[in-house]
Amino acid sequence: MPRFEYLFRETTSGLRRNGLVAFAAISTTFIALFLFGLSLLISRQVSLMIEATTGNVEVAVYLSDPVNPSTVSSLTKTLTDLPVVANVDYESKDEACERFRTLFAEQPALVNNVDCDALPASLRVKMEDPEQYSQVAAVLKGQPGIDQIVDQSAFLDRLFAVTRVFRVGVLLVAFVMLVSASILIANTVRMGLFARRKEIGIMKLVGATNWRIRMPFLVEGLFESFIGAIAAILFLFAIKVAFIEPLNESVQFIPWIVNKDLIAIIPILLVAGAIVALLAGLVGMRRFLDV
Amino acid sequence: MISLQHVTKVYRNGTTALEDVTVDVEKGEFVFIVGQSGSGKSTFIRLLLKEEEASKGDIYVAGKNLAKLTTWKVPHLRRNIGTVFQDFKLLQDKTVFENVAFALEVIGKPKHVIDQRVPEILELVGLGDKLNNFPDELSGGEQQRVSIARACVNRPLVLLADEPTGNLDPSTSVEIMRLLDKVNRIGTTVVMATHDQAIVDAMRRRVIELDKGKVIRDQARGVYS
Repeated sequence: MPRFEYLFRETTSGLRRNGLVAFAAISTTFIALFLFGLSLLISRQVSLMIEATTGNVEVAVYLSDPVNPSTVSSLTKTLTDLPVVANVDYESKDEACERFRTLFAEQPALVNNVDCDALPASLRVKMEDPEQYSQVAAVLKGQPGIDQIVDQSAFLDRLFAVTRVFRVGVLLVAFVMLVSASILIANTVRMGLFARRKEIGIMKLVGATNWRIRMPFLVEGLFESFIGAIAAILFLFAIKVAFIEPLNESVQFIPWIVNKDLIAIIPILLVAGAIVALLAGLVGMRRFLDV
Repeated sequence: MISLQHVTKVYRNGTTALEDVTVDVEKGEFVFIVGQSGSGKSTFIRLLLKEEEASKGDIYVAGKNLAKLTTWKVPHLRRNIGTVFQDFKLLQDKTVFENVAFALEVIGKPKHVIDQRVPEILELVGLGDKLNNFPDELSGGEQQRVSIARACVNRPLVLLADEPTGNLDPSTSVEIMRLLDKVNRIGTTVVMATHDQAIVDAMRRRVIELDKGKVIRDQARGVYS
């Protein structure tokens, strides 16, 4: 197949010719995709942590001892009658103890020193609309048998706020880097076109179609972004091995991202890189190839 | 094969390069376009390649109305037209064989066609023994032969030559003209823009003279002036 030979030859010679700019394009793509991947992984980590620490419960109603079963059922009914509440689960002292033990299974000293009787029973309320916490508080105010109401949505909000700033920051930097990467790729394409304007002139003269002329340049850009994406993926794996795995050893009560989460973002990064490269390539050769 | 009907070309800067030109060239003809620099010879060639569009009038090449030809069909038009220039337009980093093969490669011809046709056409232009030389190892006349081989390797219906002998000494020019005559004899329509008086007078072919964009003479078996 001369087509593939041709494409391969033209692409590699293009990369050789403007090696330095190609290197800049590759490394910028690498940084951009690395940051993009990082922000995706941070999101994933945050949702894992939320899942683990709150069990997806937004409001915990701690009951005072001793727990009266009729209080439990009447409070449950009061709560489930509220339209803003999705569902209510009763967690007995034993169940609370069980959860505590699993959560801190790695710290036997802590588990052994805490008397399970000290842990309160609670009603765990899942909200339809977590913003409406005040309604829950109002309904329960003055009711007997309640020790304390803890609105975890406030904690979640803070967690979200902190991680959002971080995530948005990383995403923003990633975006800026992606734009720079596309400009650099567009530049390699344009330099390639300029260096080969005589060849392109002849190609047009003998009747090569525009797509045949364009293809080697687009492939060159795609190749650059592909190398950048591969480097970014490898780097993310390295980060995970270097930082997450030691944490996984020492902080076991939080679930950390695993290889599966990383593998899930590989296609996203590859596609993002390809899109950037194609757009950059088309921008780079715009107006250059008018018949 | 080629037909211009009342063609006028005005460039964007207001220069009128051609004015009300009507010319018909039959299949297999050999035509000289003569005139001084700036008389519109090059514009004539460029219009036929659809590198420029006519401002007024109709142009037909190989049965196609160029004004109605969409951009993406222009390459297919050009595959029917071979072009030769004063400055050869050869790629210096490619051998003679590769330069000619390039023209077939970029229009997607398979390798076995390239391997068959390229040595064949280079033999025809008398360079059968220089396949692996680079352009800078060749004389001007030889380089022009390579460019003629490249123009003809895809067996075009029309060969357009813009001052093909402009950079060559008289004896080499005569050899190039013999070659173009040979190409014409195998059925290719040849249109050659030139101001080489000796050649035009020696060949005694149809002569179309342009002056300030107008056809002032169209003569069968003509001379330069």
